[in-house]
Amino acid sequence: MSFDINFIGILIGAIMASSVPLILAACGELITERSGVLNLGVEGMMIIGAISGFALMVVTDNLFLAVMGSMLSGLIISIIFALLTQSLLTNHVATGLALTIFGIGMSAMIGKNFVGIPGKEFPLLFVSLKESVPFFGPIFFGHSIILYFAFLLPFLTNYFLKNTKVGLIVRAVGDSPTSASNQGINVLLVRYSCILYGGAMCGLAGAYLSLIYTPQWIENMTGGRGWIALALVVFATWSPIKVLIGALIFGGITILQLHMQAVGLRIPVQLLSALPYIMTIIVLVVISRDSRKIKLNTPTSLGQIFYKEK
Amino acid sequence: MNTKLIISKISKIYPGCIANDKVSLEFGSGKIYALLGENGAGKSTLVKILSGVVKPDEGEVFLNNENIKLNSPLDAKKNNIGMVFQHFNLFETLSVFENLSIDSSKKNEELRLLVNDILKKYNFKIDLDIPVLNLSAGQKQKVEIIRCLIRNPKVLIMDEPTSVLTEQETEDLFVSLKKFSKEGILIIYITHKLKEVLSLCDEVAVMRKGKVVSVSNTKEERIESLANKMVGENLSSVKKKINNFKNSEEILKISNLNFTSDDPYETNLINLNFSLKKGECLGIAGISGNGQSELFQILSGEIITENTSIMFRQKEISKLNPRERREYLMAFSPEDRISQAAVPELKIYENVALNNFKSSNFFEKGLVNEKKIKEHSKKILSNFSVNTDNVELKSQFLSGGNLQKLIIGRELITSPELLVCFNPTWGLDVGAINYIHETLININEQGKSSIVISTDNDELLRLSDRICVIYKGKLSKIMDANTVTPEKLGVLMGGGSID
Repeated sequence: MSFDINFIGILIGAIMASSVPLILAACGELITERSGVLNLGVEGMMIIGAISGFALMVVTDNLFLAVMGSMLSGLIISIIFALLTQSLLTNHVATGLALTIFGIGMSAMIGKNFVGIPGKEFPLLFVSLKESVPFFGPIFFGHSIILYFAFLLPFLTNYFLKNTKVGLIVRAVGDSPTSASNQGINVLLVRYSCILYGGAMCGLAGAYLSLIYTPQWIENMTGGRGWIALALVVFATWSPIKVLIGALIFGGITILQLHMQAVGLRIPVQLLSALPYIMTIIVLVVISRDSRKIKLNTPTSLGQIFYKEK
Repeated sequence: MNTKLIISKISKIYPGCIANDKVSLEFGSGKIYALLGENGAGKSTLVKILSGVVKPDEGEVFLNNENIKLNSPLDAKKNNIGMVFQHFNLFETLSVFENLSIDSSKKNEELRLLVNDILKKYNFKIDLDIPVLNLSAGQKQKVEIIRCLIRNPKVLIMDEPTSVLTEQETEDLFVSLKKFSKEGILIIYITHKLKEVLSLCDEVAVMRKGKVVSVSNTKEERIESLANKMVGENLSSVKKKINNFKNSEEILKISNLNFTSDDPYETNLINLNFSLKKGECLGIAGISGNGQSELFQILSGEIITENTSIMFRQKEISKLNPRERREYLMAFSPEDRISQAAVPELKIYENVALNNFKSSNFFEKGLVNEKKIKEHSKKILSNFSVNTDNVELKSQFLSGGNLQKLIIGRELITSPELLVCFNPTWGLDVGAINYIHETLININEQGKSSIVISTDNDELLRLSDRICVIYKGKLSKIMDANTVTPEKLGVLMGGGSID
């Protein structure tokens, strides 16, 4: 029986690992959206993060620099989005879509020379405990530092939004940028910061994919995870804790259905592959159906262009 | 504490309009000053300049003989100038306390003590921990006032504060304002309501077309003298003659109108029943947000409700959409001219075609017959004295009054049997209001009926044959207009009961 229990532990550990990029990107986007900005460029920023992280790792042979670089590159391309939508007042949706298309193309171009190069082993923490503690070992130990950070992030984000002054200001700007501006809050500064933070988190999510989860560069390796992260934010009704739950369900069913496919259940593969998407949406819709709460959590000005009276 | 505020030669020019033209005024503490003027007279621009939201092109502001620069709302706050905007600057989804704490440098515990003191001192009753969207308009305004009081203001500016209040709330506000004034706060009160000027303020400055045309003591003024200064001409007011509809034919009968919404921003309607005779005008009064827009949308067919019966000219129309209702000769003029009644980016004739795309011969075999639409539009423009004959003009370039004339004209030119309008003169100047009122009285005299939903009681008393009040989604008893007084309406609008 001890084999079974350890197997379940390993499975849970794998589920946690697969949900990390979703948590990171979704928590970043959540802050952006809470300030009233809808950035559909998550996928693009993630993949730019993935290629820059990997390229830097190959060039410098330094993982720390690679991770920092991926965050910086996510941040830099989100500056383009911020400049266009906040200073030049372009439409959020169109600009975000363009950013994703740009990111995918750009990453493919940079990545040409990095295809087929093997990744470097990322240091994992508490590896000895992973093997010695039954069941809990593979769940709690032997992960990268980024995974621990990702699982802390929803709680930090929640605390930030609910209990800090700056979090309050972010929510206020998302509620009504005009009122915020009339109260003397620098709306542009707040929105720029939130967009840039979102960009950095998406970059980090990309780095996790190309440096830790599958340490190599493959074109289009984010595989739609950016879009899932975006959907998570909306279906979790802008609550970081629900984002965590949604990401775990999505990761969990993705892993489980792979095992089910391997076992050879007589269910069409297509249906199994669609399962994570369907289940995540159903669960999140069910846990967030209180329409009053949705109203209070939804950034009222989401996607609206704001310009200051002169 | 003696405060002296001097505005010197302030000018602000927007493309195509001089909002403020060398405005100079002097204020001192201990008095309440009224700034009176029609819509578009430049009052709001002036107070936006004083609160740092808008920068003037020219001119200076002196507070206690010190030249102060108001480049941002923060500058106004630093100089202890507090402002309560007409359209509240609150964050609806945040709690009251969060709204107050957002721009305060105090610690939360300290701030809470201070706010509780203010609540006690001025006898305000507000729960600090519920979201602002659950408050009534009067409570929201108190939150705005508290937000100013926290900062110990020297100057408090109130922009059209009573437009959303009940009579009772208005009285409470006046009591508070007089208290503030006694405590040495200089109060500038912006309004276009003449009665308020006389009952509350000590001095009054009248603005017209961006200029200050008179400054005087309110003791020397009467309502008529102020009105003439404000408009710049002698006003004739239209008044309806009261008719008896006992023997007239019934044209509309609504029974069992119920509407329940999941949306916390919307109001539920509870068991509305009323009927309307041919040639009659029914006025529905109430403070905005008590179910008026839901009622309008149900009448127009934008919302279809279950189990409601709407009999119009002996036909059941409750399941018909707006276009089908128009074919049965109903017409609608929604509250929001820009977003609901007309498409601002479209040309005048295109907007005219919008609500007639089925019943007329504007379209042949799916193609647009521009010539016919343009002829028809020209007819509307001249019949309803819209101040242009260019049907190619984009609707957004029409002033509010002209746009409203176009919209009402578009509805009336098809000779409907019933016109439902919602705040038909909201935000218009006196001239346009008079024209719209004459038009509405005219159609009643021609035997057509109308329902006027409005937040302006004077308008309803002028237009209606019968009046009722909507409060929290319920209708009051329907009363004959000649038995109704503004005081009665006020009581009902605040949820009280009469007799």
